[in-house]
Amino acid sequence: MIETRQSDEQVEIYLAKLREQLGGLPADDVEEILRELRGHIAERVAQSDSKRNAAPVDAVLRQLGTPEQIGSLYRADALAAHARASFSPSLIIQATIRWATRTAVGFLAFLAGMVGYALGVALIVCAILKPFFPADVGLWISRHGMVLGAELPRPHGHELLGWWIIPYGLGFGLAFILGTTVLLRWLLRFVPRAALSILTRAPQTGV
Amino acid sequence: MAEALDNWEAQIRKGWLDVAILATLWQGRLYGLEIIRELETRSDLVVAEGTVYPVLTRLRKDGLIEGKWEESESGHPRRYYKLTSAGRNRAQSLARHSHEFLSKIDALIQPLLKGQAS
Repeated sequence: MIETRQSDEQVEIYLAKLREQLGGLPADDVEEILRELRGHIAERVAQSDSKRNAAPVDAVLRQLGTPEQIGSLYRADALAAHARASFSPSLIIQATIRWATRTAVGFLAFLAGMVGYALGVALIVCAILKPFFPADVGLWISRHGMVLGAELPRPHGHELLGWWIIPYGLGFGLAFILGTTVLLRWLLRFVPRAALSILTRAPQTGV
Repeated sequence: MAEALDNWEAQIRKGWLDVAILATLWQGRLYGLEIIRELETRSDLVVAEGTVYPVLTRLRKDGLIEGKWEESESGHPRRYYKLTSAGRNRAQSLARHSHEFLSKIDALIQPLLKGQAS
């Protein structure tokens, strides 16, 4: 009887850890996941009880994998699904970073994304700074090519936009950020979910 | 070397799990543990049983399978899964692609298995 209580406790601790790992997923999903795994554990334990005496709960939980391992798979899927449906740059960047650490294509997508966002932000920053530093912020064309931004001393060359850098900077800056978001969002549709998983290498008991 | 092999195997397992799960549901509906038992007896794909459930959730959210909770004599409700019509189509096309892919790889590695010189 005491043993049963101990194993019940073990299962509860396991499920509580998994619940912790699933933070951020919709509450209904979390309940369903836990209900399903609880049933799995109970049925497995009931089966093994008659055959083996040595701590069946231990064996069943070990065979199931760690809560961290299972939790990370659920989270990776949720993140991928969410990022594909979302316009939030931070969520999309998170998913892209994870993708970048797994494959070369992911890394290229990440680089392209960062260039896109950096350009967008730079254009907006220029537009905002122009009224404060009219002589030092702008887009110049010179022997060395095009120079955008704030430079001291002011680059030699012909300034292209003048005050127009404010509307252009804001417009193109936002367009770059939006465009990059749409591009990454579209690219993420083609990423196999496994590539977004946190697990880079399977632990001993893992898939 | 052993690590490289382990890693390769883990990736392969992960990649094939979707196809294998859809295949177990081809004949009819099963609940999670039945799917796992089926995979354990008929493949080497399942190492940690808990990793099958996230795949089931994903396939369900993609509309390839649907799940239905039912009470059981064990005292715990079970979620039975079955293929949707989109799932049947996907399962068949994955099966065709897998078969073609595997036959080519098989032909490619035949000389290695026989130990023949290239």
